[in-house]
Amino acid sequence: MVRFTSKRPILLQGHERSLTQVKYNAEGDLLFSCSKDDTVNAWYSHNGERLGTYGGHNGTVWTLDVDYQTKFLVTGSADNMMKLWDVETGQCLYTWEFLTAVKRVAFSEDGELIVCVTEQRAVAQGAIRVFKINRHDGRIQDPEPISLFHPIGTKATLASFGWDSKHIITGHESGKVAIFDAKTGEELRANEKAHHEPVTDLQLAPDRSYFVTSSKDKSARLHDSRTLAVLKTYTTETPLNSAAIAPLRPYVLLGGGQDAMSVTTTSLRQGKFETRFWHKVFEEEVGRVRGHFGPINTIAVHPDGRSYSSGGEDGFVRVHFFDVSYFKARPYGDLEAEE
Amino acid sequence: EDAAEESTVSAELIASRRRLIDEWNAWRIKVKRELKEEKGKRPQQRHLQEKVE
Repeated sequence: MVRFTSKRPILLQGHERSLTQVKYNAEGDLLFSCSKDDTVNAWYSHNGERLGTYGGHNGTVWTLDVDYQTKFLVTGSADNMMKLWDVETGQCLYTWEFLTAVKRVAFSEDGELIVCVTEQRAVAQGAIRVFKINRHDGRIQDPEPISLFHPIGTKATLASFGWDSKHIITGHESGKVAIFDAKTGEELRANEKAHHEPVTDLQLAPDRSYFVTSSKDKSARLHDSRTLAVLKTYTTETPLNSAAIAPLRPYVLLGGGQDAMSVTTTSLRQGKFETRFWHKVFEEEVGRVRGHFGPINTIAVHPDGRSYSSGGEDGFVRVHFFDVSYFKARPYGDLEAEE
Repeated sequence: EDAAEESTVSAELIASRRRLIDEWNAWRIKVKRELKEEKGKRPQQRHLQEKVE
């Protein structure tokens, strides 16, 4: 196994509490981050300078996404609100309010739709809503979703558009993953036993034909976006909070770690929480990058595959740039995997 | 003798990896063909053309 070295990790210090999600825009020039401290930040990904802050939520911001044009940013928060922002001006364009926290938001590939997951509480059932977005004037939006449905049995915590904008892939507290019809809310396919503990992240490959999930059950899995067939399984020794698919090289990046209560002070002090690199096809760990002082909550890979970012329980975002060895390394000789 | 055994094991491992890569690549090629067939029905993908030298 290799300890991947990164050229000059940049430490982004703009959050006072743990990170909940980091995400690059399609071009990769910007990185967005949200956190338990109510703030949302945008950063220039090449130097870590802050472009701006999106202020307005009054509670943990659990989730964000940015559309393919980097025109709109959508955020979801424990204040029960979903907000649409103008990326460039930082202005909040529209706010939707629900009865419970917004746990996950995601744009469709064409930016026309947003899927939104709200939490299950005594006051309201867990729900998945799909909103049609007015892209011409962001300030004028339909307050009502075009579809609304309630997954039964186990609550959904994650959702993303799947193979196309007609299908929504969900991740659930029980470990289930499923595909729903975005319009009718019908459950089309389900894998009840994808994981045996909560699914913590769900990220699609660039062409949306497969996706990776991470789970508290210490494993990550690769699934076919149309059939939900499990293609690969990566079994680690720590609960996982995030998983991402790397372009260019045949790796998935996994992050997690035991929470602060159960780790030694030594490992806390030394920043030993590591991003793990697994070979996507061979299901073997190939390398690690250390740095965080607490569990890794969220990982995103730059769309060009040359760098990645991780957001930690420690309140930091670390931007790592791969060095030549990462690209040159051929631990399995000439066996090359198709992207 | 040990060396012979070792080389058998590694030959097996190499064969197994070759099989895994072949399976994966066959699946990827099939999926990419299907995605291409669907083109026109869905917005243009932003494909990563750049390769590292």
